[in-house]
Amino acid sequence: MTWRSPLALVRDALRGQRAREKDLRNLASNLPYEGLERAKQPNCYFPGNAIKTTKYTLLLFIPMNLFEQFHRLANIYFVGLAILNFVPVVSAFQPEVALIPICVVLSLTALKDASEDFRRYQSDRKLNNTPCLIYSRKEQQFIKRHWKDVRVGDFVKVVCNEIVPADLLLLHTSDPSGVCHIETSNLDGEINLKQRKMMSGDPEFEPESFNSAVVCEKPNNNLNHFKCYVEKPNKEKVGAGIESLLLRGCTVRNTDHAVGFVVYAGHETKAMLNNKGPRYKRSKLERKLNTDVIFCVILLFTMCLIGALGHFLWLQALPGVPPYLVPDGNGHLDSPSLSGFYMFFTMIILLQILIPISLYVSIELVKIGQIFFITNDIDLHDEGTDSRVQCKALNITEDLGQIEYIFSDKTGTLTENKMVFRRCSIMGTEYAHKENAVVIPDRTLLQQISRAESSSSSRNIDPHLDFFLGLAICNTVVVSVATAQRQRVSAPFTATKNRTISEDSVEEEDHVKPPVKIEGSGETNKLHTCSLHAPSQCDKSAMTPDNLSYEAESPDEAALVYAAKAYGFTLLARTPDSVTVRLPSGEDLVFQVLDTLTFDYNRKRMSVLVRHPITKEYVLYTKGADHAIMELLATPYAGIGKQKNIAADTQYHLDGYAKEGLRTLCFTKKVVSDKAYESWSVNRQRALAAIDNREELVMDTAVQLETDLSLLGATGIEDRLQESVPETIMALREAGIQVWVLTGDKTETAVNIGYACRLLEEEDLVINMTESSGGFTCELSPSNLNEVRRFSEDPRNVDTTQNISLVIDGHTLTLALSSDLQKRFVDLAKRCRTVLCCRVTPLQKSRVVTVVREKLNVMTLAVGDGANDVSMIQAADVGIGISGQEGMQAVMASDFAISRFKHLKKLLLVHGHWCYTRLASMIIYFFYKNVAYVNLLFWHQFLCGFSGTAMIDYWLMIFFNLFFTSVPPIMFGIMDKDVSAEMLLGVPELYRTGQGTGEYTFKTFWISMLDAFYQSLVCFFIPYLAYQDSDIDVFTFGTPLNTISFFTILLHLSIEIKAWTVVHWVIMLGSVALYFIVTLAYSAICVTCNPPSNPYWILQRQMADPMFYLLCIITTVVALLPRYMFHVLRNSIAPSPLVKARHLDRLDPSTRDQCMKMWRSFRGIAQVKPSRLSTPPSPTLETPVDIHPHSPTTFDIMWDERHH
Amino acid sequence: MVKEEQELANRPDNTAFTQQRLPAWQPMLSAGIVIPGFVLIGLAFIGIGVALFVTSRSIQVLEFDYTGVDQNSPCFKCSDPKVLNCVCNLNFSIDSLFKGTVFFYYGLSNYYQNFRKYGVSKDDVQLSGDLTNFKTPSDTCSPYAYDSNNQPIVPCGSIANSMFNDAFKLYQIINGTNTLVPFDGKGIAWWTDYNIKYRNPSITPLKNAFNNTVKPIFWSKPAYELDTSDPANNGFINQNFLVWMRRAALPNFRKLYGRINEGDYAQGLPAGNYSLEIAYNYPVLSFDGRKKVVFSNVSWMGGKNEFLGIAYLVIGSMCVFMSIVMLIVYAKFKFPEEDGVPGH
Repeated sequence: MTWRSPLALVRDALRGQRAREKDLRNLASNLPYEGLERAKQPNCYFPGNAIKTTKYTLLLFIPMNLFEQFHRLANIYFVGLAILNFVPVVSAFQPEVALIPICVVLSLTALKDASEDFRRYQSDRKLNNTPCLIYSRKEQQFIKRHWKDVRVGDFVKVVCNEIVPADLLLLHTSDPSGVCHIETSNLDGEINLKQRKMMSGDPEFEPESFNSAVVCEKPNNNLNHFKCYVEKPNKEKVGAGIESLLLRGCTVRNTDHAVGFVVYAGHETKAMLNNKGPRYKRSKLERKLNTDVIFCVILLFTMCLIGALGHFLWLQALPGVPPYLVPDGNGHLDSPSLSGFYMFFTMIILLQILIPISLYVSIELVKIGQIFFITNDIDLHDEGTDSRVQCKALNITEDLGQIEYIFSDKTGTLTENKMVFRRCSIMGTEYAHKENAVVIPDRTLLQQISRAESSSSSRNIDPHLDFFLGLAICNTVVVSVATAQRQRVSAPFTATKNRTISEDSVEEEDHVKPPVKIEGSGETNKLHTCSLHAPSQCDKSAMTPDNLSYEAESPDEAALVYAAKAYGFTLLARTPDSVTVRLPSGEDLVFQVLDTLTFDYNRKRMSVLVRHPITKEYVLYTKGADHAIMELLATPYAGIGKQKNIAADTQYHLDGYAKEGLRTLCFTKKVVSDKAYESWSVNRQRALAAIDNREELVMDTAVQLETDLSLLGATGIEDRLQESVPETIMALREAGIQVWVLTGDKTETAVNIGYACRLLEEEDLVINMTESSGGFTCELSPSNLNEVRRFSEDPRNVDTTQNISLVIDGHTLTLALSSDLQKRFVDLAKRCRTVLCCRVTPLQKSRVVTVVREKLNVMTLAVGDGANDVSMIQAADVGIGISGQEGMQAVMASDFAISRFKHLKKLLLVHGHWCYTRLASMIIYFFYKNVAYVNLLFWHQFLCGFSGTAMIDYWLMIFFNLFFTSVPPIMFGIMDKDVSAEMLLGVPELYRTGQGTGEYTFKTFWISMLDAFYQSLVCFFIPYLAYQDSDIDVFTFGTPLNTISFFTILLHLSIEIKAWTVVHWVIMLGSVALYFIVTLAYSAICVTCNPPSNPYWILQRQMADPMFYLLCIITTVVALLPRYMFHVLRNSIAPSPLVKARHLDRLDPSTRDQCMKMWRSFRGIAQVKPSRLSTPPSPTLETPVDIHPHSPTTFDIMWDERHH
Repeated sequence: MVKEEQELANRPDNTAFTQQRLPAWQPMLSAGIVIPGFVLIGLAFIGIGVALFVTSRSIQVLEFDYTGVDQNSPCFKCSDPKVLNCVCNLNFSIDSLFKGTVFFYYGLSNYYQNFRKYGVSKDDVQLSGDLTNFKTPSDTCSPYAYDSNNQPIVPCGSIANSMFNDAFKLYQIINGTNTLVPFDGKGIAWWTDYNIKYRNPSITPLKNAFNNTVKPIFWSKPAYELDTSDPANNGFINQNFLVWMRRAALPNFRKLYGRINEGDYAQGLPAGNYSLEIAYNYPVLSFDGRKKVVFSNVSWMGGKNEFLGIAYLVIGSMCVFMSIVMLIVYAKFKFPEEDGVPGH
């Protein structure tokens, strides 16, 4: 390193900053500059590929960590107090000792942070030292280096099954068709193969001859967008997008090797920019807790004020100067008012632990424990994918116990998202298929096809053939050769490959570990896959349809391709430029793919533009949702006069499909004239090369082309319900949770699924608020309207519970969520047992969640599996991702990730309930504990002239809080079990105890505060009365107080503990043993160690005195008697459901089940009026069909809708 | 089966602990279950209460306030702080034998030895005989660390400075002659204080250790002259000094002055007339305090205290009463497993 002037350094730093901040980056190859010092390199301003995710450095750990920790207000408060103690006039304790508690708390947290950081450091180091191949000019070849050596502007070669080290612009691949297959499971969990195209078409690529400039956008975290162009020396610009970018963290598959140009390295790569680490949310309980901490602060100040005032009055009342008043150094006394003022601060120091210093640390520890138990639950482990429940948000476990509204996605969440082709309608004729995992071709349709094939001339293709060609072509399915572990959607050809096998064969790879955890033979399998990379390279014998496997981004596509295959239209290969389809006749057709108009949520359709190899026509195949297609159909013309009829028939069939709960898609074809194609193609190229507004421009060109379509037919795909979905929904509803379903599907499909999973019951009144096909008016079906009207006129039905369900679609929802109608909509919705929102966009989903959450002020949970659920998951209080078929985006955004919908039941009803009751009880106990203990000191102030004397040794006070009484509440918060899991699952109603304000309310807080005051009064004044007028000295008086308080506090906890396991016993008895051992040892060692206190031999003397024991027994009994009696009487006279459940728990299993059944039926009848308006009645309640309630808002909103 | 287990690497351990199925004892707090416990506790408490109460009753206590507020009081003349070296005699008579060993206490009221700054004002190191702290007493002693001539005060600090300095002599008046009833001043302080915590400097004579130091301002004689007759009771290990240094927890307290356990009086004080000669030195009226002397004998439970016995009796009866209440509750409200019907 040569010396450079500081000015030059600053200048360079500024220049680097500017280069990084620019919207467009100019990158050049590093090779011409190889060997030069770094400052002279063209890309020197961009960071290297070494990553550092650690928060701290070794040297700066302490200051940085302290800085971090002082963001917590409580820590500042305690440090402030410790510093205050160094001011001589106000100090209450030895200043050095006063630092200990805060130091212990800070160092515990620091230790935790340091261990986490060290783990990050280790994984960073491992990643940075992963080998990779970088081109070197000197060596004229790719040489082996490490990931950390990769720099922007380098050429990196990645071979099969290797992980891409940085974001690479793909320049060369071994594949002759110029594609590179990658797997992005490390990034988003999607395990289907994706294709990436190389930039230049030059097959003989040489890094040294690369002399173009690469211009790309500023790094961003969007995994699906990338904009860049390559400017050749002759100023020719070639655009490139995400389809040419290999992202860091992806694995190269089925491609021998690929060479790329590094555009982003290290922390600028998209993978790193997406890596945000665990999320920190604040739970509802914690928010409430903070208000209670403020109450504690107010209490503390009141007590200190009393102390200060008391001291002032006490000093004033003195007739002279007694010998026990100590003047200051100059021999004169402060005035009473000044002393009182100082005393205020002394009191704050003395009573500081009223604010529980260790509460926050304890809560964190408890949550770690709770998460341990949740993730270790074997019932939440899915055998199929071998995945556990994942807790991504570390501190909202107790929110799971308070959920009132669940918003669920439909596809993939309630259903399997494993699609089976069931129905199709071609040119207005319907063909049904038997319900089977494997498509069994319909005989009439097969005959129709063979007839069409033989008869059709080359000019005029039969629509049936076209329909199946469309099925096979219009998709983005990638063909790969079936092997055991790369396969995702199994090919349903042979009898052995049925649904169960396909489930088992899905291997989801952990997205953190590199994907090499296959057993022995797996490696060879992979190699095999590689050697057969591109279908075009394989010899034809390997191309038999039987070992083809389709890698689809959505299961619908795969289902369609398999259906086409069942009818003989086999998709053989797909490259970016061509599609090969084998016809039933055995003939292979290679279609040239001119463009693919990809799917988006606005258009709700996709198209593929191909050139027919025989007719040489440009054909556009489009598929999409029926409402997105129907309005684009060509006006009927003479040639095919039936078009309108076909459309009507098809629509009729589609509605039928939807009623059966099938997913529907329409298929169309359009022949584009050469001229039209050419003019469109120019627009398209311009749009693709654009850097600004590229997405919009590209979409506009797509819309331009997708007009005047002619309908071929429609398909109906079945999506099976996941196992135990109806049971789960019933249980959740019994638990007082309202379940809403938000789906993008058609209304009919959604309603059908709603009935299937018992969201809707046959006898329910369903209010349908959907736009009729023509206009925007919202209609209520006449029969329902009449019913409601009839009902409203009947005065008998005012008090009856209501079973109204609401079905609303996207359009109406937009109106309902507009600010003027919002309130009424929410008002109506909260009276409904179920709300089904159909055809909603992702944005609307999150809007619904936000509106309900904010207007009703309830705890919401959103569960979904796809990218379209991400916004909803993020908007809800608790977001749950289902790791299913649609990749990991939902999981990445979620707080908890589960693998099946049914897991929600145990997660909420059992773990949610436990976590909430445990934490709530622990927090209340913590507040109680501190108040009960500190008040001992406070009462003593009345007997020592409010002088701030502590009669308990300060070390023992610290030990008391840090060691003797800290572990039991933490154990209590992690392990206490009020009701067994079986009971909670069997009687979901028990979940209601946590909803709304739950157990941790204002009232419970103050009751426990009052109890704390009472107990401390008893613990202080019984010993006081017993020792009155005796020769007891200060610390001999304090020792029994400390012991009594210790026992009272521990026994108080044991009243609260509901189930004593071995762990409970060990910890409780261990705490008692620790107390006596530590206190005795301390009293034996400390002769003059901690003036003014004098613990020497005090406990030893006390323990030799029978009075000590008698005092401990009576005081503890008197202190705990009220609480004990309260529990006993409440449990006997008015037992809560939880207490009853606990009683049932003690019975033997068979009797218990019987009782549980009786209880449920009993409660169902008894509960005519639900306690809260928003809680729905238990579904066991069978209301007669004709009883429907009146709710004025129902009418109002409908009235409004109708007149809109 | 084994192979399957291996494949599911992510499968959680199926142990009672991780699945939260540890066998547990679930105590139910309900009326029916706690009645026997309450009865037992109640009876036990009543038993203890009776024992305590009876014991406390058997303890004899004799108390005399000698502050001299009242004009008829024998010490009225001494209560004026201007009168120095005042001696007053307190005469009293005992009707029957005051069983021994009789403990003799002096008591102070409204005296806050537990005042925080007062409590800090001593130097433990100095009191453990460390000579360096003789020359430079700890800051905690301020302002009683140095006198106006900047001489170190030994023993320093406010506690030592304010040591109680009334002296008592008890005479039995037998046929008009006063017979001295000896107070045993040994063993009245804590063994650990006398033997471990407080030490004199190991210099003989003791007086030399106190060179270049001054006595506390309120004291009439230096520490090495507290008991010239007995070197084992002199200096920092003077028992009265030790008793004073152990600060009282409450503002009304008594401190042991001596025990009557010698000669004729080992069995107690026989009936008769007595005279207590008090060297009245300690001013208490400035803070509205009171001084008293107490004769008392002790039992296994210490001095007389009826509170604890009564408390045990009251709580014990309450427990019995509550078990009756519980019996009624139990009869009226039964639990599911008791009648087989969930809820009620």
